[in-house]
Amino acid sequence: MTNVPFLLLIEDDDAIRTALELSLSRQGHRVATAATGEDGLKLLREQRPDLIVLDVMLPGIDGFEVCRRIRRTDQLPIILLTARSDDIDVVVGLESGADDYVVKPVQGRVLDARIRAVLRRGEREANDSAAFGSLLIDRAAMTVTKNGEDLQLTPTELRLLLELSRRPGQALSRQQLLRLVWEHDYLGDSRLVDACVQRLRAKVEDVPSSPTLIRTVRGVGYRLDAPQ
Amino acid sequence: MSAVSDEPGRARGWAAGLLRWFSLRLRLMLVFGLVALTAAVSASAIAYWLNRDAVLTRTQDSALDEFRKALKDDTDPLPSLPTCSELREAAGRMADNTQKYEVLLITRTKDAGSCPAASDKDLFTLDVVPSSLRRAVDEKRPVGKGNTSPYHLYWQRITLGGTPYLVGGAKVNGGGPTGYMLKSLDTERQDLNSLAWSLGIATGLALIGAALLAQAAAATVLRPVQRLGEAAHRLGEGHLDTRLQVSGSDELANLSHTFNRAAERLQKRVAELSAREASSRRFVADMSHELRTPLTAITAVTEVLEEEADSLDPMIAPAVQLVVSETRRLNDLVENLMEVTRFDAGTARLVLDDVDVADQVTACIDARAWLDAVELDAARGIVAPLDPRRLDVILANLIGNALKHGGSPVRVSVRTDGDELLIKVRDHGPGIPEDVLPHVFDRFYKASASRPRSEGSGLGLSIAMENAHIHGGDISAANSPEGGAVFTLRLPMDASRIASDEAEDERDGSPGTERDDGGAKDKGKGTGKGRDEEGRP
Repeated sequence: MTNVPFLLLIEDDDAIRTALELSLSRQGHRVATAATGEDGLKLLREQRPDLIVLDVMLPGIDGFEVCRRIRRTDQLPIILLTARSDDIDVVVGLESGADDYVVKPVQGRVLDARIRAVLRRGEREANDSAAFGSLLIDRAAMTVTKNGEDLQLTPTELRLLLELSRRPGQALSRQQLLRLVWEHDYLGDSRLVDACVQRLRAKVEDVPSSPTLIRTVRGVGYRLDAPQ
Repeated sequence: MSAVSDEPGRARGWAAGLLRWFSLRLRLMLVFGLVALTAAVSASAIAYWLNRDAVLTRTQDSALDEFRKALKDDTDPLPSLPTCSELREAAGRMADNTQKYEVLLITRTKDAGSCPAASDKDLFTLDVVPSSLRRAVDEKRPVGKGNTSPYHLYWQRITLGGTPYLVGGAKVNGGGPTGYMLKSLDTERQDLNSLAWSLGIATGLALIGAALLAQAAAATVLRPVQRLGEAAHRLGEGHLDTRLQVSGSDELANLSHTFNRAAERLQKRVAELSAREASSRRFVADMSHELRTPLTAITAVTEVLEEEADSLDPMIAPAVQLVVSETRRLNDLVENLMEVTRFDAGTARLVLDDVDVADQVTACIDARAWLDAVELDAARGIVAPLDPRRLDVILANLIGNALKHGGSPVRVSVRTDGDELLIKVRDHGPGIPEDVLPHVFDRFYKASASRPRSEGSGLGLSIAMENAHIHGGDISAANSPEGGAVFTLRLPMDASRIASDEAEDERDGSPGTERDDGGAKDKGKGTGKGRDEEGRP
């Protein structure tokens, strides 16, 4: 990863694409752009960006579908750019694997802050490891193995797991997790946490529908337990 | 609380309704009863009196006829001055008759002056005979035209010891003894009494029949009326597809027909209106949507301009600043419009999280740099499941409004009241004019035409209200007696009951795979409050 983050912006509207490219470039990012989901996926394979800013409303395959396709092979961070008025969109977007979302019209500064926060999640910070049953979290290599097998986690999922594993047995509220993982202000959308926890459970739990590691603490939030 | 205060009102209404129904039913029954009673009583009375007359006359006539004959036959053989015993024998003979009457004979006798000879001395004495009758019997009338004999037979009905009797008396013409007869009318009375009983029972039966008929008549009239009432009630509740079944061609059928026509017209009209409203709402939604795209581009670029403003020509810098600030305003306006259309379309959703209210209020004030202007009076530790973003919108609008129009210091207090959360925002401004008070939550309502162009969108308080409503809460505006306006936000402490199960399903459904996840969510939405799902691609 170079010092200048390399972003891929997939946005169909010319004006928005140009304006965001301008704004993000001024914030110090290197930006590649695509007007359709298909073009975006092609660019992704050719240029390997650090992060994708993805518009939801795209001609042809829409943003959700692009997101799903990327997630099949890749764990790189995705920020959704949504203009839709329905809250449902956010939920669908988070379920399709996005790490964060911003609502149009977005200020360049806000988008930049989100991008940097997402990118920071992949940075290592400690040199130890922790084991939870068959799950081994190596904080030095930033890898998670389950039964000796490497798990493909997005930086957000990894960061969430790290934050939970740092306080084993202690319940963390959604707002706390939003601050720790997403670096959101006090108005973070708790659905980000819920969606990410579900994706994480699907990857780390033996039976995701009856989690033994990442437990829900009603009225509080989530907790990472070592299985008995 | 409201349920309790409603109770007497509902009871009163119920009683009034009962009275109304009863009075109509009662009136009908009363009229029917009166008609039946009048008819039955008059018929019975006529029948009774005719019968009574006939029975008494017949008994009387036959008894008196026999008495007259016996008096003549049995006193003829007597000497002109008979002895008491002779007289008594004659009386005994006369009393031995088919009509079973007692006899009393009186005449001047040889031994004594006057001898009353009765067939039954215990019962029949001269005292029993009314004096008026005695006088009439003893009275001698001049014989002439139209009157063949000086003495006549007279009779009278009397009651002795509770038993009715017929008393008759006559003087034998030609200086014979005076004879009286006493016949018991007890049998006749018994017959007439049983007749009266029968007639009374018949009258009673007629009354019952009338009541039943009245009931039936009332039912035939009232049931359609009741149906009509129920239908009108349903219509009033908003079930505009309510129709009545029209049967027959009477006035009630006519009424039902009219009702149906009115309901149909109403339904059509409402459908038209709501279609018009829906299309205008859709227009606003589409418009704000369309505004978003260029606004996104402009917003992104204005920031670049803003950063460069310092290095720009001093003539141009203010223009750039203006573009930047107005773009921000436009952004707020469009954002608020979108929010409003989300509420109107019913696509707004609660995203609940357990919120420490005091923390939230502090954060809201802090984020907007209002800490110096706001006094916070909130106990920590009040935690409620609320939508933090929506609570922030409400607080920001209420506090912002108070700062803008009321002036600092603005006092915010957080309390719990039973199962309600109470947040009061009080300013120290001039208060809100009474005529404006009911409109403060209206969209785009401007307090006065002269008011300077507001910095807000004119939607803030309306959005705050909608956000309170979606929590199942409310906001009220008032003026404090100590001056200044007070906005009181009431939110239920457990808004999770109001929110559909979907949030919990999404959160704790622990779906295993993406597929299961979708399934659980869809189920959650299905059990939701029937909100509009059109927006889903």
